[in-house]
Amino acid sequence: MNPILEVKDLSVVYESTGFAALQAVDHVSFVLEAGEFVGLVGESGSGKSTLGFAITRLQKPPARINGGQIYFRGEDIRELDVETLRQQRQGGFAMVLQSGMNALNPVRTIRNHFIDIFRAHGHVEKSRWDARQIELIEKVGLSKEVLARFPGELSGGMRQRVSIALALSLEPQLMVFDEPTTALDVLVQQAIMDTIKSLQKSEGFTAVLISHDLGVVLESTQRVLVMHEGRIVEDASSLDILANPQDEYTRMLLSHYADPRAEVVELPGFTDRASRKAHGTLKASDGGTAVTSAAREGRSTDSAIVVDHVSMLYPPPRRGEQAITAVDDVSFTLEPGESLALVGASGSGKSTIAKLITGIEKPTAGTVRFGNLDVARLGRGQIRGLHRNVQMIFQDPYSALNPLHTVEYTLTRPVVNFGGLRGPAARKRVLELLETVGLSPVEQFAAKLPHQLSGGQRQRVVIARALASNPQVLIADEPVSMLDVSLRAGVLSLLEDVREQWGMSMLYITHDLLSARLVTENIMVLNGGRVVERGNTAQVLQHPENEYTIRLLDAVPNPARVRGAAV
Amino acid sequence: MTTTQNPATATVEAMRPPPRFAFITRSTATLWANWKSRLGLIILACFIFVAILAPLLAPYGASQDGFERNADASPEHWFGTTAAGEDVLSQLIYGSQISVSVGFIAGVLSTIVAIVIGLSWGYIRGFGADVINFIVNLFLVIPGLPLMIVIAAYLQNGGLVMIVAVIVITGWAWGARVLRAQTQTLRSRDFVTAARFSGEPAWRIVFKEILPNMTSIIAGGFFGAATSAILAEAGLEFLGLGDSSIVSWGTILYWAQNSNALLTGQWILLFAPGLCIALLALSLTLINFGVDAISNPRLREGKSR
Repeated sequence: MNPILEVKDLSVVYESTGFAALQAVDHVSFVLEAGEFVGLVGESGSGKSTLGFAITRLQKPPARINGGQIYFRGEDIRELDVETLRQQRQGGFAMVLQSGMNALNPVRTIRNHFIDIFRAHGHVEKSRWDARQIELIEKVGLSKEVLARFPGELSGGMRQRVSIALALSLEPQLMVFDEPTTALDVLVQQAIMDTIKSLQKSEGFTAVLISHDLGVVLESTQRVLVMHEGRIVEDASSLDILANPQDEYTRMLLSHYADPRAEVVELPGFTDRASRKAHGTLKASDGGTAVTSAAREGRSTDSAIVVDHVSMLYPPPRRGEQAITAVDDVSFTLEPGESLALVGASGSGKSTIAKLITGIEKPTAGTVRFGNLDVARLGRGQIRGLHRNVQMIFQDPYSALNPLHTVEYTLTRPVVNFGGLRGPAARKRVLELLETVGLSPVEQFAAKLPHQLSGGQRQRVVIARALASNPQVLIADEPVSMLDVSLRAGVLSLLEDVREQWGMSMLYITHDLLSARLVTENIMVLNGGRVVERGNTAQVLQHPENEYTIRLLDAVPNPARVRGAAV
Repeated sequence: MTTTQNPATATVEAMRPPPRFAFITRSTATLWANWKSRLGLIILACFIFVAILAPLLAPYGASQDGFERNADASPEHWFGTTAAGEDVLSQLIYGSQISVSVGFIAGVLSTIVAIVIGLSWGYIRGFGADVINFIVNLFLVIPGLPLMIVIAAYLQNGGLVMIVAVIVITGWAWGARVLRAQTQTLRSRDFVTAARFSGEPAWRIVFKEILPNMTSIIAGGFFGAATSAILAEAGLEFLGLGDSSIVSWGTILYWAQNSNALLTGQWILLFAPGLCIALLALSLTLINFGVDAISNPRLREGKSR
């Protein structure tokens, strides 16, 4: 037993003037053995990042440690003065940040970043600088040419690798990774996690991986600390957590993972479409005409969205370079009442297709039609007419609502603009919408401001706003990717319910194959702007044919797979 | 979350209409919490107090003459008298009315011009934006003071209205540019796109969605504009370009200069209005420190580490 870090009864509080103090970390104790790879898991607001900052002494006001000790190699790091702390960063503890890829100085080459560190700590002889840089950059899987580049010339994944290499250059004994892959694409995320895992093995440092994604953590770590509301609720080996979770909260987190490839995919309170159809519980659109026609009252006849050989080129970023092909000869039809998934990694052109359909951008070739409207040729007034029927649900519920408007104001606007209702009639409709999305008591929610709502509640308001004009088509751009895992199932089942009740069609844009499996009938897989595979969702995900689809499926973090591998 | 302990009050709290004034209360609290802006608020309050109560506070009328000329300080005339035989203290007190009101009015007007032009400039794209860009750049590159002097000389003796007009014409461009930059960052936010999806017309998006999110920048711009308006007003009056028959700090300086007050040893005639102008400008600048803390919460917390 050789403890490298001992945390005893640590408490961290956020104290801002004018706000009540918030105890973010509450009497947390744990011990890290040298050479361990430990995961720290929790949903947003659980205090996991605050704890990570505290154990590396990087916390800033308004955060303040208000109790407990942190012993690093037997020394309480809370007592260290600034200069000792700085020297300590070499051979001591280092942190790789979530936005680590934005932490590089854009006007200095990667080589200069290394030299800054070598100079500040003087732990590498000047004659060995070059050799050491090359060694480090190759360790994280990059070629040495990268050293001469500027951060802006590297992709997000490469920049994150560079920041790992920079942290490594200090030869730390303890590395804290704070959501190192959250901002990255699924495929890149998997590659970076592989690099971190193999580095941890070869370099032998102690690592703490902070993440909201239990799947990612279980796949790579030996031991997991589960945090909930500032406390560690479970501390056990990864296998134990999987096989025999003790805490209610851990069980709840685990229940939200499933393999999109399985025969039947189930989340709490939610089964995938195919199996619901089989059991006759699906309100089939052809069976439930009574409901749908009621909802469709006062609406023009439903029209399909027809995307015909559409290509989209963006002008080159620099002169002399090639134009960027975001969408390359894509054709599909979104039938009324259909639910279609558009799946792909970032940069695959899926969001561009959403922009083309909603008239925000105009395609360079091909046509997008909605009924008999040519979307690319609509004037400003006609675009407004298009938005009556084609509505959008945004990815980030935190930026999709104006922070200064109440829920009621936000929802009243489309009701007034599209429904022509005024005064009490408009208010009645707003309250109905809130009822529909399950935000009751409606009167209370109507009066709230966005910051008084949780992420899931905000997303429900965003959905309610999209429903306000009684649209025919919903474009959902990654509607659950910013939400905590435990909230996703609720929002997805809401989307599914209103879609079936109101008889809308939905284009569901995502990189998350599990959610696509749950709410869509058909799927299209995009890679580099091209459709590489399409078909029935359950069919495609269970028997993928294209190599890219298989890679995407493999990248889905899945705790169950760890169990399979370990047994 | 102490309120949740009592469900009745919690419900009442939630039922209450949106806290429209909560923002103002919170901003004032933030301003008061910062010692710099607290000092600024106190100084500004003193000046406003003096300006409003001038007829009660001043021992004599503003242009009441007939006293001994060029008198030194005495119990009857604390700051002495001018070359025309007026009481300097009374003139100072009445002069604060002009400075405070010109600062306020010109500040408000040039902020309004900056808002209207800056926001629409930031929101629209294409040819219209280029045209506005050209006009604003034109106003930015013309040196302010000479332009002011030229305009003021051209609109001879228009009085205060003319001075305010000159200050507004020369003072809006910088604010417009700052607001345009902020509008451009806000217009790409999802909630603006969402408003478009809600069928909102452009003017509503600009003034109901974007504008309220820039309140602190606008407030900062207003205090900046008011400061330069006060300085410009005093400057123009001092150069004799305003209406020299009214009593303001600028005209006190103008007449003091004309009567060679320094040579007669009456330094207080130049010093007192100068100090007042500096203090008033200082108070607004100090308040701006607090406004910064509202727009950037990081400045609100104590020093880092």
